[in-house]
Amino acid sequence: MDLTPRNGDSVSLVAFDREHINQLLTSLAEVDTLVGQPVPKTRMGGGAVGIEVAPERLVEVARVLRDSLGFEMLTCVSGVDFVDHIQSVYHFRSLASNWLLQVRVRLSADQPEVDSLIGLYPSANWLEREQYDMVGIIYKGHPDLRRILLDDDFQGFPMRRNFRATPITLHDRATTQVDAERAISGEQQRNQERIVSKHLGQGDEERIHPGKPTFGSAAVYLETGQGLLPGDMQGDVETEHGYEVNTDNPTPTRKS
Amino acid sequence: MTLQTNQGDPDAASALYTEDATGLRSEEMILNMGPQHPSTHGVLRLVLTLDGETVMQCTPVMGYLHRGMEKTFENRPYMAGPRYIDNADYLSPMINEVCYAGAVEQIMGVEPPPRAQYIRVIVQELERIASHLVAVGTYGLDLGAFTPVLWAFRDREVILDLFEALSGHRFTHNYMRVGGVLYDLPKGWIQQCEQWATRFVDKNLPELEGLLTGNEIFVSRTRGVGYIDPQQALAYALTGPMTRASGVNFDVRVQRPYGAYREIAVRPQLQTGGDCFARYRVRMDEMVESVRLIREALDKLPSGPISNRSPIALRPPRGETYYSVETGRGEESIYMISDGSEYPYRAKLRAPSFVNLQILPELLRGNKIGDVIAILGSIDIVLGDVDR
Repeated sequence: MDLTPRNGDSVSLVAFDREHINQLLTSLAEVDTLVGQPVPKTRMGGGAVGIEVAPERLVEVARVLRDSLGFEMLTCVSGVDFVDHIQSVYHFRSLASNWLLQVRVRLSADQPEVDSLIGLYPSANWLEREQYDMVGIIYKGHPDLRRILLDDDFQGFPMRRNFRATPITLHDRATTQVDAERAISGEQQRNQERIVSKHLGQGDEERIHPGKPTFGSAAVYLETGQGLLPGDMQGDVETEHGYEVNTDNPTPTRKS
Repeated sequence: MTLQTNQGDPDAASALYTEDATGLRSEEMILNMGPQHPSTHGVLRLVLTLDGETVMQCTPVMGYLHRGMEKTFENRPYMAGPRYIDNADYLSPMINEVCYAGAVEQIMGVEPPPRAQYIRVIVQELERIASHLVAVGTYGLDLGAFTPVLWAFRDREVILDLFEALSGHRFTHNYMRVGGVLYDLPKGWIQQCEQWATRFVDKNLPELEGLLTGNEIFVSRTRGVGYIDPQQALAYALTGPMTRASGVNFDVRVQRPYGAYREIAVRPQLQTGGDCFARYRVRMDEMVESVRLIREALDKLPSGPISNRSPIALRPPRGETYYSVETGRGEESIYMISDGSEYPYRAKLRAPSFVNLQILPELLRGNKIGDVIAILGSIDIVLGDVDR
């Protein structure tokens, strides 16, 4: 994805001294000599400067940033999923010179791996763990890379673009209305259909059992007296909360 | 007695034991503190490895309050963002909203009108006082002093009433908009605010301070406990009172002023003690400073519109930005990426409590178990901010 602003450079809210930013850009020549070629540098809003380095040079660059340029703080680590690639973005602060630097590392989408900065900045410990948790970036050399905010047995990485908050398919669950063995075998689908139609076929006065999941279709039946005959509403599928619900079958069906 | 710890490896589990001259070993004990514990200020769980009464290792376990806030931002339009970020640091929602709205403004390259910027400064400083009052009051409560929390909440109630008059809500205000604020100050609000400020700084705050600074138990439990030296504070990227108590002069309002802070100079409140008492002192001094800023902003308050005209369906240009504000706990930032649509492509929230909490295992190691609460309380975490 191309993120270059279309309408020229975006305006900075804070009118930072241009000299001040130029000074940082000049100092970054040290990074250029280390890498061997000029790294791409951009001016960002709010008086920040962004550079991009190759993942295998990140630790060397960070060492230069800390020891020579005086960036004492690693403030923020963010992972961004751009579908075709994944970025790990670091924000460094220098208090002495009042600089804010953004370092961007481009990783492959299949195997997002980059060296950990924990040896240089202790604050990288939890910051990197959080991005592993959310985006799934592997920080090589991290001593304790496990989930931090989510459960240990959580599946998937929520901040990826292809992550679905609700599962597309439902697993069969045991209900109180059929015995557990049949419920998990998927056999209750047909069985339940029969129970519902029989139960509701006895007249409008009869109240639905309070424990029965209705998903609205029984209410329709009670109002109109129509529908819910076996086979009558075969193709009628409505979506509720992302699950496909067959209206003559109160249980959400598994999507094949 | 030699004490063997794994210094290089902050969190990893490893064998910890003490050994005396005759080779006798004492076994450590695992103690679960939380998640339901009154002095963890929320749902934080600390797994403490104890040797007698000495803490050998501490592993914080969090995420009990994780609500997927960053994912929510991606699925809601820009205008809905301030409502959701209210709940991140639920003790300073106004400052969170300024952070979100400011990030979008910075991408768009717009600036709110001067009156909106001054109103933002006033509510941010009020919110900072409210947040520090909770921090100081509950800190006293943690250490066994019951009255300070009641006296602190007395003033906080007035601030919440002021916010209610302003925005209609006491906690989740939803008051900031991209390009300004939602309502102008209601009639009589300024007088009420000034009256409260006079009463607070002349009478109520000295009373509160007398209860804590004059309390011998409180002072002896906080002074010299939980020392952080400046190098450590920088290495762990601590911000807010945590770092200013160690003598590091870092305050976003001072270093990179935003909004009307460019015209209202903030005097940073520094301490050099680096211990729990110094952090408490920084918070008390910052409240006095905040009152001064509120008065200055009320004096200078310009007239004019309170908001730019901006479309409901906001489509900022493509780009990325990193916008920081100073909350009561430190630097709160949003790294926001816009792809030109109505929804943010990515909004990463840098939460001050989360980063500040990281030093806790380092601080607790070797301390007595009684100091765990004193040190944890001095960090002043909000679990909504840690877990997001």
